Amino acid sequence: MNYSIQTPLLLLLVHIVFFNVQTQSQSTDLISKTCKKTPHFDLCLSSLQSSPQSSNSDISGLAHIMADLVLSNATDTLDYIHGLLKQSPEADLQKPLANCAELYIPVVKYTLPQSIDALSNGHYGFANYGISDAAKEAEACEKGFSGESPLTDRNTLVSSLAEVAVAIIKLVQG
Amino acid sequence: MADTRPLLLSDPDALPTAYTPLPGGSSSPEIRRIHVKEVLAMFAGVVMVSLLVVIIGNTGQDGNVYHRHNRRDKPMLLAASPTKETATKAEKAEKLQAVTRGMAAGVSEKSSRLYSSDVGAGTPVYPWNNSMLSWQRTAFHFQPEKNWMNDPNGPLFYKGWYHFFYQYNPKGAVWGNIVWGHAVSRDLIHWLHLPLAMVADQWYDINGVWTGSATILPNDQIVMLYTGSTNESVQVQCLAYPADHKDPLLTKWVKYSGNPVLVPPPGTGVKDFRDPTTAWYTTDGKWRITIGSKVNKTGISLVYDTKDFITYEQLDGVLHAVPGTGMWECIDFYPVSKTSDKGLDTSQNGADVKHVMKASLDDDRNDYYALGSYNEKTGKWVPDNQKIDVGIGIRYDYGKFYASKTFYDQNKQRRVLWGWIGESDSENADVKKGWASLQGIPRTVLFDQKTGSNLLQWPVEEIEKLRLNKKNFDKVQVKAGSVVPLDVGTATQLDIVVEFELDQKVVESAAESNEEFSCQTSGGAAKRGALGPFGLLVLADDSLSERTPVYFYVVKGSGGTVNTYFCADQTRSSVATDVVKQVSGSYVPVLKGETLSLRILVDHSIIESFAQGGRTTITTRVYPTQAIYGAARLFLFNNATDTSFTASLQIWQMNSAFIRPFSPDAASHASFTPVTVFIKFIVPFGIFLTLYFVR
Repeated sequence: MNYSIQTPLLLLLVHIVFFNVQTQSQSTDLISKTCKKTPHFDLCLSSLQSSPQSSNSDISGLAHIMADLVLSNATDTLDYIHGLLKQSPEADLQKPLANCAELYIPVVKYTLPQSIDALSNGHYGFANYGISDAAKEAEACEKGFSGESPLTDRNTLVSSLAEVAVAIIKLVQG
Repeated sequence: MADTRPLLLSDPDALPTAYTPLPGGSSSPEIRRIHVKEVLAMFAGVVMVSLLVVIIGNTGQDGNVYHRHNRRDKPMLLAASPTKETATKAEKAEKLQAVTRGMAAGVSEKSSRLYSSDVGAGTPVYPWNNSMLSWQRTAFHFQPEKNWMNDPNGPLFYKGWYHFFYQYNPKGAVWGNIVWGHAVSRDLIHWLHLPLAMVADQWYDINGVWTGSATILPNDQIVMLYTGSTNESVQVQCLAYPADHKDPLLTKWVKYSGNPVLVPPPGTGVKDFRDPTTAWYTTDGKWRITIGSKVNKTGISLVYDTKDFITYEQLDGVLHAVPGTGMWECIDFYPVSKTSDKGLDTSQNGADVKHVMKASLDDDRNDYYALGSYNEKTGKWVPDNQKIDVGIGIRYDYGKFYASKTFYDQNKQRRVLWGWIGESDSENADVKKGWASLQGIPRTVLFDQKTGSNLLQWPVEEIEKLRLNKKNFDKVQVKAGSVVPLDVGTATQLDIVVEFELDQKVVESAAESNEEFSCQTSGGAAKRGALGPFGLLVLADDSLSERTPVYFYVVKGSGGTVNTYFCADQTRSSVATDVVKQVSGSYVPVLKGETLSLRILVDHSIIESFAQGGRTTITTRVYPTQAIYGAARLFLFNNATDTSFTASLQIWQMNSAFIRPFSPDAASHASFTPVTVFIKFIVPFGIFLTLYFVR
């Protein structure tokens, strides 16, 4: 029998290339693919695309960008709550607003910064635990309003961004 | 996690395409070439398999640090214990043995000894079954997954997390082999177990890593001082600190290389020197701590100054001493504000500040406190009222509550109290169920501005997060000598708030009595008086064969003064004979115009009750055999002879706190997983080799 190595070697190369080409992608392709695997595709897409660093990021970088977005939105919400409280709101808004401030302060001060730090160090589980916590606090804040909530849009945004971040981090974890 | 695809587990030499050697083994240039390729193929196969084995091996390993190795075991864990053999014999014939633990080692009695005079060694063991025992575990009180726990240690708040450490025996459900357990929480309620913080691995704490306290320095640095029991059972004080202050979970701790930092001074017994407190900062620029000890039968508090927590100077005299109280364990010393409803940092002092001095008395295993004034210049604390000095006056809690410790929660500016709640059943039962002890729900501590002579304790507000559906009962009338059921659904996890109003006409016209009432000697809720007992029957079954009354007993004393007592009665809480059956409680101050109010937290085998906003509290451990699961009920009862009452209640079902191990990094590795490697590399190689050899 004549042993030729050419054909099988070619086939080997084809197989390796074939199986690996799936994981190579362009940047917008990556954002789109990643966002498809999160619970809020449109929000994910628009948030990431509007961030200048996202075009050069791998999936780990996208996770980081999203976590930073959660923090900036939570900080923004807290500032807004403080602003509302300063305007001496009516009695039925005073208490839930104060409660929301109490919920957001540790999120902005400790939870999210620690989660972002954990992300940089590869402690994905700990990062997710903290970011999920942030979503829970936003939801608890919203629930505190018996009537109309002045924070609905902001709370929903924080909560949704957090859910997206958690989903992306899970993809990084593998 | 082993991959069972046949290709990988099979012998590389037995690949379906293995080359079968030519008979005779004659050599020729062709055959030689074949041998080379055969070797190459085998080599490639071996490399593939070993690569896969290495990959699977690495990802299967528990790479994360947050995973406790104490996994949840079956409930009927049989720990190594002297009573193990007797447990397997006919249980009817089994009697309780007298057991003592801890005292030989140099701490107070740590066995679940039974205190009642008519229950003790020789009492028949109740045939506890799995269902009864597993019901006893709590839903929202801190407890490790299994084994023994005692004193709270070093509680603190740091970088968004509440930390709790505790005395723990990793080897069994009785005291011994003590190390520091560790858990964290964002809200003092939802706890996550972390790995052990400190173990007994040095000569100076080889016989026990005992109780200690944390001090947070102004730069946010944490120092922990704790008592070590040395290889010669001498009690020494040791310094430890977090290994990485950037780790918000403070998982790892380092013991100072020059430990111990304090040894028993001359004149102090080597087993009478333990439980260093949190330090407070003096105007001299030094940190000051106190450590409990005794001189004969006088409990004392030794004082030390330090600048670096490494070298100390002992101050002359003591912070305070009270004759006849015996050894002072777990001293706690802290300021409370006379005017504000906020807690104070431990270093605070001033005109509107009172200092609380507290000791756990070795001799009677109760926690006592007294209010007084601290003079930093003289270095002495003086009680407001010597008659109710430390150890002879007020207790934090009139039930089961010991080794308590407060900390200043700078997050919410409050002083929070932790207390060890031991078991009131037999050691046999503890070993059988595989665990022993709980911590009380953390309580805020405030100076009672209305009475000026006691503290108020109240469950931290975060507990209210566990409240589920609420039921209101407005103005329920309960006549003398009657019982009214309260339909609350499941009655084993409850938060009850109730207010009572007595018939004022009856109270005013009630005859004066010379009765010297004491819960302990009263005979319990079955003993009727004109104006009491009345209250709630907790963890009762329909037939009331088992019930735990938590109640008020009002007495009209001489001169027409009305005195109120607050009691909890364990005598009929269970038909089992091998459990404590005591009546606990105390006098509770009720001011003019106040209604009688109670708050009760029911959580399986623990009942915590608070009267008059926390002026008097009673923690009770109960072990019903029938009033469990769906058979547990709640009733209002009035066993007074003369007065009826009206009660208004708010009752919430309580959710579980889901206290569990913290394993956040279960899958913290990146995309290099066995599956992708297999697809990307092994399959192509496999196909290559297949094609190569099949021609």
